[in-house]
Amino acid sequence: MYKKEFEIIFGYAKNKVDDIEILFSANKSFSTKINEQLIEAFNYADSKGIGVRVIKDGKVGYAYTEKFDEETFGMIVDEAVANAKCSEDDEIEVMENYPSVDKKLNIYSEELDKVDVKEKIQFAKDMEKFAKATDNRVFNVPFAQFGNGTTYSRIENSKGLCKEEKQNFAYAYVGALSQENDDKRVGVEFIIGRDFSKFKAKELAEKSVKKSTALLGGESIKSGSFPVIFNNEMMATMLSTFSGIFSAKSVQEGRSLLKGKLGQFIANEKVTIKDDGLYPEGFSTSAFDSEGYPSQTTILILNGRLRSYLHSTITARKDGVNSTGNGSRNYKNTLGISHTNFYLEKGQHKETDLYNKYDRVIEIVAMQGMHSGANVISGDFSLSAEGFLYENGKRKYSLKPFTISGNILQLFKDVDMIADNFIFDMSSMGSASVLVKQLAISG
Amino acid sequence: MLDKRLIEKVIDKALSNGADFAEVFAENSYISRISFNDSKTKQSIAGKDFGAGVRVFYGTTAIYAYTNDLSEISLLAAADAVSKAANGNSNKKIIDLTKKTFEDIHPILIPNNTISKEEKIDFIRKINKASRDFNDQITQVDINMLEKMQHIMIANSEGLWAEDDRNYTRIYVTSIASKGSEKQTGSEGPGAFKGYEFIQKIDPEELGRKTARMAVTMLNAEYAPSGNFPVVIDNGFGGVIFHEACGHALETTSVAKGASVFTGKIGKQIANPVVTAIDDGTIANEWGSENIDDEGLPTKKTVLIEKGILKSYMVDKMGGIKTGYEPTGSGRRQSYKFAPASRMRNTYIAAGKNKLEELITSVDNGIYAKKMGGGSVMPGTGNFNFSVAEGYLIKHGKITTPIRGATLIGNGADVLHKISMVADNLDMAQGMCGSVSGSIPTNVGQPAIKVDEILVGGRK
Repeated sequence: MYKKEFEIIFGYAKNKVDDIEILFSANKSFSTKINEQLIEAFNYADSKGIGVRVIKDGKVGYAYTEKFDEETFGMIVDEAVANAKCSEDDEIEVMENYPSVDKKLNIYSEELDKVDVKEKIQFAKDMEKFAKATDNRVFNVPFAQFGNGTTYSRIENSKGLCKEEKQNFAYAYVGALSQENDDKRVGVEFIIGRDFSKFKAKELAEKSVKKSTALLGGESIKSGSFPVIFNNEMMATMLSTFSGIFSAKSVQEGRSLLKGKLGQFIANEKVTIKDDGLYPEGFSTSAFDSEGYPSQTTILILNGRLRSYLHSTITARKDGVNSTGNGSRNYKNTLGISHTNFYLEKGQHKETDLYNKYDRVIEIVAMQGMHSGANVISGDFSLSAEGFLYENGKRKYSLKPFTISGNILQLFKDVDMIADNFIFDMSSMGSASVLVKQLAISG
Repeated sequence: MLDKRLIEKVIDKALSNGADFAEVFAENSYISRISFNDSKTKQSIAGKDFGAGVRVFYGTTAIYAYTNDLSEISLLAAADAVSKAANGNSNKKIIDLTKKTFEDIHPILIPNNTISKEEKIDFIRKINKASRDFNDQITQVDINMLEKMQHIMIANSEGLWAEDDRNYTRIYVTSIASKGSEKQTGSEGPGAFKGYEFIQKIDPEELGRKTARMAVTMLNAEYAPSGNFPVVIDNGFGGVIFHEACGHALETTSVAKGASVFTGKIGKQIANPVVTAIDDGTIANEWGSENIDDEGLPTKKTVLIEKGILKSYMVDKMGGIKTGYEPTGSGRRQSYKFAPASRMRNTYIAAGKNKLEELITSVDNGIYAKKMGGGSVMPGTGNFNFSVAEGYLIKHGKITTPIRGATLIGNGADVLHKISMVADNLDMAQGMCGSVSGSIPTNVGQPAIKVDEILVGGRK
């Protein structure tokens, strides 16, 4: 697909650049939102874009376009060259023809692309209907959404690299809002997958309702330091918020807490964190990254000790190591680093063991303010949270919204037990529930 | 952008299965970003966003499809897709399109593409130098210059047809101060609906020192206390709380769903009588201003709350259908990739009569939030959580020690009643507001306000 476009750009760039990489992606997606059994939104998208990265006199420049014609293709090459001329970056960027991964990834399902739109709409309607029917304290279902998307991407460079890939996924989520007296609580449940037959509207709806109603009528908690359980979803959210500290680019630019810590214990020895671009059937799984470099499994923290950062070939060259296949960009952006399927490895413990360890423990099941209350650079967080108080392993009552605060590295050090209830969230962050020795709580 | 005959054909096609309304939005934008850190110009990118979206309504259902192939075949295919999702019984036809003209209330003096990249980079270097020279503890300065020129075209089945140009310029600076492995940041991101004349009015040294001072102050600050305190929130970006915790709940997207605490409250006292709040797209060349909204309606000045009484919501076309209120020119979207929705423009609490000093002296033991950081609000409940980017303790009516890691936790509807004093120092600050129709430029604003009691989450 789109061979002609690549040929035009390569042809125009010849003699104008030392090297050029062309990144193309085309996306077809659908989403629908239901409110009061009516379709509130119904969107189709069919879009594509081309981004170029050029090397000219050792410097790098970028440009992109969503307008596909010969004149604009020429313009983006010229713009990229002009941008390269302004660059003062002395890091060496090289383009190569990297090898390919020889592994079946199963990231595209033909069946999924054939699901009839009527079924998708019905699915979203069912989620809302079941959520309302489950409990009479549910007074609103603010989200009942289904969506799916298929992306084709292709990358070529002037060194002969040529790779392409197609992947798809579908997701659904439902949020229930319940009320008792003056207390209102939200519960959200989601699924992401490639097998539509595994999408169960009733199950998702009931879980979302249960999450919201369980929190109703909370008691206040006195401020202090408590042992805390982050349930699997919330631990994944914490990882998602702070995953940027593992980026070698952040480290090299002096904006990561992990600078100079390679080989050191930065977490409790129970903690192992991995990034796996080849995770079977994952939703951030891909055979190659945005430089065309082959994906891999990277151990970041092994039994508490920092083993590696996430690298592109550029940061890797600077550190004298190999890329980890985490070079990342879409056609509209410059090359950076991002995680793929990123997870805290599960432990051996049953979830119940975590509740039994201390006389009093607070379980966190919802958090807000990740964008405001978490500082990725300092590692400090202060977040509004919801959850339950447990005494002697028994759920005592739900709590009125409270604040948790601390620092992510301290939290890694305070990890006490890790359960075996592993999940991936919608952003490909994975974790099981984690018991943390102590955390500051203010009610 | 598109010829009249083609637009008419596309709209007719979109209406063909009984839709009540059809609209075409097309965009051709040029975007440029220069990224600077490590005292060097690093990654520069420029590009073209290009595409069109077709939207139809039937009843209260909105259907949207977009493509970036603007050929007749592709646009008709998009129109066909949306028409098939409709199954109404209307048999509307497009009304004759007449090109609408309107006054350009936000003139651009110096188009960004007439200034060389070298001149822009020189300006950035001055910010970087001033910031690093401020203090040894400054270890990194990130600077991004963003420029966007957006050409839009909107036409609909009611005969509306309009085109406009928008020009945005913004410079975003973050200084990082370090001590051991501890790091704190200070940020400023001034922007305007202007050309390069906006940058020329900025003093780069002052901007660099400002972010550095903030980062260093916070690096050497103590952890904030926890508990309920009176809080004085200073002007400018302090308005983010009103924006997030009240503004979004006054958009018809949320009102119509009944998901807003302000549903059915027009004419009612929802805030302390000292509070008047306005959403205004007409302020000349402000970041959140425009001539017409993304549905082609002229922008307006909308009084939301007057002396504590709820006067108006922010209404887009679909919001108008759902709630019965007249659209307020508030239909906005990030790009052709989004259907428009009711959104904020320049939203602010109007100036009051008190002096900032009077607010401070009225507090015996509390917090002065000089600069707010970002935050979020839980939909449906209005519970919010905002970080204080630069904060201080107030003791016996005086600003004392700097504090860090503080968050303000509360409820939007509740806090409006607890605003007891409003100062006279109204100022605005720029932000990108993310919501259903994408990320759009909006101003937040307020004078200093005193909130009698709010939960402060800290670490002590």
